[in-house]
Amino acid sequence: MKGEVDFSKIKTQADADSRFELWETVAEMIGAGEMPPEDNPQLNPKEKTMILDWHQERLEAPIEPRPGIFRPRRLSGPEYRNTLRSLFGFELKVAIAEAQQTVTGEQSLVLKLLPKDPPGASGFINDTHGATLSPVIWEQYAFLTDTAIERLFAPKQRPQLEEMIGEKLPANWEPSSLTLDQSRALIRRFVPRALRRHVSDDRLSTSLKPLKNKSGLELLKTLKFEMKAVLLSPAFLYRGLLVERFPGTQRQVDPFELAERLSYFLWEDRPDKELMTLAADGSLLKEEVITAQVKRMLKAPQARNLAQSFGVQWLGIANLDELIKNPISHHSLRTQPVLFLNHLFTEDRPVIELISSKTTFVNEGVSSFYGQDREKMKRHPKPKGIERQTTPFNKFTLEKATWRGGIITMPGILTMNRGPIQRGTWLLRRVLGVRLGEPPADVPPIKPAPRGQKLTFRERFERHRTDPSCARCHEEIDPLGFALDGYDTNGRFIDRNGKNANGPDTSGKLPTGEIFQDYTGLKEILLGSQREKIIRNSVERTLSYAMCRKLTRTDQPTIDRITKSIVKDNGTWENLFVEIVNSLPFRETIFEGETKK
Amino acid sequence: MSSKWKIERRTFLKGSAGALVPLPFLNLMEARGAKSVIGSDQGRAPVRFVTLFKPNGVHPPSWNINGGTENDFRMSPLMKPFSKHKKDLLILDNMGDFGFSSHSNSTRRFLSGHHGNRKTASLDQVIAEKIGKDTTHRSLELTTEGLFVNQIGCSYISYDKKGNPLPRESDPQLVFDRLFRNPSQNPDQRKEFTSLLDRVADDARALQRRTGKEDSETLEEYFTVLRETEKRLENMATTSRSSVDYSTLNRPDTPVTLDDQVEAMLDVIAMALWTDSTRCISYMLGNSNSRLIFDFLGINRQHHYLSHFFRNFSRSNIDSLLKISLWHMEKFDSLLTRLKRYKDGRGSLLDHSVVLFGSGMGHSDNHTAQRLPIILAGQGGGMLKTDRYLRYSKNQEVGRLHLSLMQKFGIDQKSYANSSTPLPGLDGSPFEEFKERSFESWVKRGKGTITAQGRLRMSNNLDEAKVFYIDVEGKPSVRIEIGFGDFHSYNLAYHVGTPIKLSGNSGEKNGQLVINKVTGLTSLFGNSKPGKANG
Repeated sequence: MKGEVDFSKIKTQADADSRFELWETVAEMIGAGEMPPEDNPQLNPKEKTMILDWHQERLEAPIEPRPGIFRPRRLSGPEYRNTLRSLFGFELKVAIAEAQQTVTGEQSLVLKLLPKDPPGASGFINDTHGATLSPVIWEQYAFLTDTAIERLFAPKQRPQLEEMIGEKLPANWEPSSLTLDQSRALIRRFVPRALRRHVSDDRLSTSLKPLKNKSGLELLKTLKFEMKAVLLSPAFLYRGLLVERFPGTQRQVDPFELAERLSYFLWEDRPDKELMTLAADGSLLKEEVITAQVKRMLKAPQARNLAQSFGVQWLGIANLDELIKNPISHHSLRTQPVLFLNHLFTEDRPVIELISSKTTFVNEGVSSFYGQDREKMKRHPKPKGIERQTTPFNKFTLEKATWRGGIITMPGILTMNRGPIQRGTWLLRRVLGVRLGEPPADVPPIKPAPRGQKLTFRERFERHRTDPSCARCHEEIDPLGFALDGYDTNGRFIDRNGKNANGPDTSGKLPTGEIFQDYTGLKEILLGSQREKIIRNSVERTLSYAMCRKLTRTDQPTIDRITKSIVKDNGTWENLFVEIVNSLPFRETIFEGETKK
Repeated sequence: MSSKWKIERRTFLKGSAGALVPLPFLNLMEARGAKSVIGSDQGRAPVRFVTLFKPNGVHPPSWNINGGTENDFRMSPLMKPFSKHKKDLLILDNMGDFGFSSHSNSTRRFLSGHHGNRKTASLDQVIAEKIGKDTTHRSLELTTEGLFVNQIGCSYISYDKKGNPLPRESDPQLVFDRLFRNPSQNPDQRKEFTSLLDRVADDARALQRRTGKEDSETLEEYFTVLRETEKRLENMATTSRSSVDYSTLNRPDTPVTLDDQVEAMLDVIAMALWTDSTRCISYMLGNSNSRLIFDFLGINRQHHYLSHFFRNFSRSNIDSLLKISLWHMEKFDSLLTRLKRYKDGRGSLLDHSVVLFGSGMGHSDNHTAQRLPIILAGQGGGMLKTDRYLRYSKNQEVGRLHLSLMQKFGIDQKSYANSSTPLPGLDGSPFEEFKERSFESWVKRGKGTITAQGRLRMSNNLDEAKVFYIDVEGKPSVRIEIGFGDFHSYNLAYHVGTPIKLSGNSGEKNGQLVINKVTGLTSLFGNSKPGKANG
């Protein structure tokens, strides 16, 4: 952003208000003396104080909740894949023979061909606002579209084609015998499904007209062409281009837009038939109707995408992909937290169970982390002639392994973050939602212990921390991280009863003054004084994912309200999702532009 | 199926150099521009090079040809599926290194000439560098299964100039699409693409009218992309010179079984060569330690497990293993049959190809690195003299074969891998043939012990596939029935086919002498202890 802001474009109070983050940066840069740039006229101290006071005043002023400004955005890779799959009723997959212990790579043809989406400002890849379209991506869309449509007319895909035409086809049916009525019926079903809303007769006739007077192969070719034109239209590739607009106003989004917001949030997929029906008659706008839909949708298999996409991105679980090369351990370590998150999200579990839960999911790849509890695990004996294999997960309740439970002590999470500093940083950033700055550029390396002294890493690190610029963050990071030193690099619990009686020092003191002996003690603090902070962060991250954007100051009141209610009633993830879909940012938007008279 | 190939086609096509990049459509254009007239070769069909790799070695008694001469030999049981191509085959025997092979380095031995050759291009890539410049795709690297990341060498046979593995592709439809379903190659498709661009642009304009200013950036970006794509299409129309109507080629169906997948890929391979889209292809039927399960053959144990047929011995296991090996052989047959079906110049595609089939490992349980299964097929436009069986007098490093092939492809190469002399005999030139050396055979019994001297062989009887014999002239063979420990530490599999002196604890079974514990082994003409090092 630096150096790219044209302040002369900000004319009204509303313009200024909408740029909250800009003022944050301005204040920061003026404070640090980085603004104005050196070779420009400088501010005198009085001016400087004036600006900073103005900012401070506004910062403390009560904030009016406001929805975001409406912006269309391109479907993310996974959204595009899921949308194409649910539209056609089959998935485009890469042909590769599967075998145990091998990595087949990306098996979705869509994700294999599309460049990986970078995370947006929100940290989530569904925030595609900054991801530009390139000819390469467009050509891949063209190729995938072509491939899907060709496949729809292949004999194996007859049921899907019949569904789209709306009639049963005879066994010996050939695509060349497609009738005009059939192709019209197909277009009438296909276009609104693809564009995710009812479309005008005008739009329909654009696709229907060229079919007229055609038959046989020529008709088939025209029909395929029309289908391709729909799938390559920006109206399909982007979300929000067809929304009902009312420039210059803040208002409820139309019911189809709401259905789309809802289904891409919970399913990462287009609205299904039921949502489309409720959008068509407008009833989806009713609080009790959309609430019932959330409950229904969380029971559907697509809801797994919440854990798979939102959960994995939020907690950075994909970091395991680079780290664990053995496909069987990778599968076990990577799947376990996703199953756990899926359980929390879809089975109405309290938000705070993220930190503390008796439920976990275990297979043979991770069972050895669970001490005596593993004896309860269902055995999956290896069939003869199979050398190594992944085994299915079982849900089970922790009894003796009190050192597990919750996301923080999952083997995959612990092994993904190696060492106390990584673990502390992860906990602080991802779970507690603390924004840590970048470490200073000139950090000296941790010094070796002076001659003749035996110092643990912790002791050496504590000497290092005497530098005040390091201490600012490390005061917060280190106690959390060292508490997790009770687990080794691979995430294995170090049992103090045996030979490890003199294990690492896991005690610590938080900046709040609270003290603890080990992670069990820290966990109590997390569930006590830190509970609200953890819930607030969960609310923020979920809302940000749901809105596909970075949150702003005007979202604060919404976050405050939802956090309060979850904290008070020990609310569940389902409660949180319901709160979000009924919240102002989700329901409303601001359309820029002049109000039309 | 060849009747479907109603394509007018010049003897060979003029394309241009370009790497196979994972972008199916227009990007091929980027590679165009290089000149590509094969002036000096006028009138002659180009020679192609194809490699088909078989995973997990072989069961030697079923693979090896024992006895016979260069021009008078009988093919082994495992060779049955492709024996009809005998006239087009050049079967090599006594190829390999000294010692043993790991799975992960057997792939380097197979196509890079030596297990230790990790810094240079594999044979196919050296050849591609020479013959791949005139085609749209320099070379194709294909496979069937995913990466075995614990020992990554298992998953690659093709390596680039620096010896780094080249990415492989497993999906036959995707390969087909890259080659043929491509507007840069297909005028009809180009036309449709252009009208599609117009239509979508109309759509975008309509949207622009109803959306606000704030979205214009999004749509502007979209228009820019459309304009760029259109420009590239126009450019393509003026530079494309292909005369083949690719729309008549049959795109393979979505495969269901491994067999479908491989058959479809072999189809695409033949089409790619015939249309001269590429002249150099390597294809792995599986990783060198393939864990695939051949359920479509009714087998539910992993190939690698079964390939260790001594330690995991049972009659049904060895039957399953041979069934899988026969399937591999059938795929080799399938490839050759396809290459014969296509006319090319004055002969068939096979006449103008060199096909290298085989594995980088011999005995699949003991991992011996000699007597590797290696067969060349096709005349390569006169490079090779086929319908012969060459059993070399001594173990020949695979690098010699590769060096020899490189030179035949006109590559100025003085040495390759560990080898600096080419392998003689491929074109009918003289070579030192394997000759039996005379030795005495006898058997002596002590108190509870036996010492026997004679040729060691593995049992041909599959009911006792882990049993060995020492043949003694004029006497019943001595049966060797030992556990895995002895099999492994005395490396019995390594000495199979050669004369040895073996001592051990004796027993007797139905009047036959049996050794059930080995106490000593001496090779009459070779190394008694091949060592444990990777060979």
